[in-house]
Amino acid sequence: MDIRIAPQMSVMDKLKILGDAAKYDVSCSSSGSFRKNDGQGIGNTVAAGLCHSFGADGRCISLLKILFTNECIYDCRYCVNRCSNDVPRASFTPDEVCELTMEFYRRNYIEGLFLSSGILYSPNYTMELICETVHRLRALHRFQGYIHIKAIPGADPLLIQRAGYLADRMSVNLEMATAEGLRAVAPNKHRKNILKPMRQIQNGITENKNEITLYKHAPHFCEAGQSTQMVIGALPESDYQIMSVAESLYDKFSLKRVYYSAFVNVNEEKDLPALVGGPPLLREHRLYQADWLLRFYDFRVDELLTADRPNFNTAIDPKADWAVRHLECFPVEINRADYHLLLRIPGVGVKSARRIVAARRFGSLTFEDLKKIGVVLKRALYFITCNGKMMYPTKLEEQYIVRSLTYQNQMGRGERLPFMTDGTTYRQMSLFDMAGFDDVRKVVSI
Amino acid sequence: MMATVRIAGKEIYLFMEEKYLICEDSLEGIFTGIYDAYALREGHKHVHIQVGEEENLRLFATYMHILPDPVKTEKVAETLKARLGEHVYHSICRAAASCYPDKGEAVYKTVVDALTAGSGSRVMENLRNAYVARCFELARFTANEAHFEIEFLRFQELVDSETAKGGVLFARIGPKNNVIPFIMPHFADRLSIENFMVYDENRKLFGVHPAREEWYLVTAGDAFVLKDPVYSEKEESYQELFRAFHRTIAIKSRENRKLQRQMCAYRYQDYMMEFQQKG
Repeated sequence: MDIRIAPQMSVMDKLKILGDAAKYDVSCSSSGSFRKNDGQGIGNTVAAGLCHSFGADGRCISLLKILFTNECIYDCRYCVNRCSNDVPRASFTPDEVCELTMEFYRRNYIEGLFLSSGILYSPNYTMELICETVHRLRALHRFQGYIHIKAIPGADPLLIQRAGYLADRMSVNLEMATAEGLRAVAPNKHRKNILKPMRQIQNGITENKNEITLYKHAPHFCEAGQSTQMVIGALPESDYQIMSVAESLYDKFSLKRVYYSAFVNVNEEKDLPALVGGPPLLREHRLYQADWLLRFYDFRVDELLTADRPNFNTAIDPKADWAVRHLECFPVEINRADYHLLLRIPGVGVKSARRIVAARRFGSLTFEDLKKIGVVLKRALYFITCNGKMMYPTKLEEQYIVRSLTYQNQMGRGERLPFMTDGTTYRQMSLFDMAGFDDVRKVVSI
Repeated sequence: MMATVRIAGKEIYLFMEEKYLICEDSLEGIFTGIYDAYALREGHKHVHIQVGEEENLRLFATYMHILPDPVKTEKVAETLKARLGEHVYHSICRAAASCYPDKGEAVYKTVVDALTAGSGSRVMENLRNAYVARCFELARFTANEAHFEIEFLRFQELVDSETAKGGVLFARIGPKNNVIPFIMPHFADRLSIENFMVYDENRKLFGVHPAREEWYLVTAGDAFVLKDPVYSEKEESYQELFRAFHRTIAIKSRENRKLQRQMCAYRYQDYMMEFQQKG
């Protein structure tokens, strides 16, 4: 067999090549699994997940995200590791992966391992290598931290099952939102082959839950569920198509997460968009916002988008966009509205809504109280009343509210985007930016 | 106590005198203060708890110095746990570990709202009360900071001077709040078979965990100066490996330093070896 691996490559060189090759996989989460240490080895998992560092692009580094090898027999046009690309190739040995994981983990650099791979020789051969590595980590090194494994489409179901018992989370990448899209860019991949392991993992998780109800100490199968990712902006799919696919993945495949990845034209493919302004970050951001609305705010895709309006408004976020088009639901009385209606108010999140419901048991709330609770009043004030009164006299009129919300944005005081709207990620300092300094990454519940 | 003046042979009541209980800056200090405030039996409106010395003394106020007392502390802790539940008790402990001096008053008045005004185990939801809102805010700040330290602290492997082998893990942190008591349980579970130490250089406080044993705190005293530790042979190479990984994993066309700084503030980056430029 043709072996292209430089035999004396150091672990450092391999890590550089195989870390670089894995960076376009978005998933970094280490959440969903809760396991205490058994006193025999190192490691545990935390339900909310932990991010141990942040890269220069502001994305979290939670897991040691690497490919086992970047050798690949496939030729997908969007992928940097396709077989027709002339890039340096490398492969880890299982022991190297184990040692890196253990030593990084005990120094608190990482929360666990994310192991993916190019297809070496065949899907089965690759999946077996991955299983062997992770098995060694679990059995020999008694590692009890988080492990995320990529299921290789086309691998034997028995191998997928074996991986599921070793991993906390598994994922199969959908790559493109539509089957035609996938066919156009990845000639060796088929939608059917992707959905098959996804279904198998889903069924495995359901069966395992039943087993655990019966036998408390039954081994766990993919305790943290499964996820997938779609590339955004490589093909002319609409937001409506993408979100509908995401919704059906949540409904029909019980996925934990769907990730969206703004397309980066790594191969400078002529038929794929060149994206002069950089990757479509604003679009990606809107999709994530909508994704949150589906998972935590009880929204359905059909409420947010329709076939006539297939793309998200770039000027205001999907929730505010829904609110201004449904002014008949507003203003909402904070002291009386039920939890689900509170969730629909722009500027009120899951935590504020819960706190409002809890705090109003003690007496009626004022705007001052809402501020303490954490409601973003500059956005919410158009949509709420406290004891029948609005905060300021405002018009309940679509044009007026949209203008006010977007005016705030122009002044740099409105919606906080993680980058400039033209796609660049820096911005000149101005007086108004000072308001953004108190930005907090996330509020950890107590 | 009433403040009075005598005018033309008549005693006239002016106002209630404010009472300030000055407590030590610790959980023990604050809990002893709460015990003594209740023991005064003068209601709670004009009684205040203050942590550390007051610089601007008030007119018409009396100051009482409270020495931390383990028996009183235990009584208060047991009462809070029994009547408010573990969840509220932990929130109160976190607020008491805050770096802000108004924490004593916030915690005290929150306890009053729970035990005396009757909000009970739901007290942390009563955000209309300004003291409860403040206590909630302080507890959240400590909890968030503890969470960040759990994520961002970096262990380095030291050489054991007796065996000359590696093995002891050591981390240095500089948190605003006193977070070590809240992060040790996490690492004690995760790294149960390791010997490790976490050192808070702002408080000169060590959290120490001997392998397979219970963890404990050690105060080093104000005069303590940390000597440069001797790292194990492999330590440098793993740091170099992770630095390289940290660099490679970022996508060039998405570079966003502002976002990076928002997610991981400079004050944490200062203690993280991947942000220290080497080689």
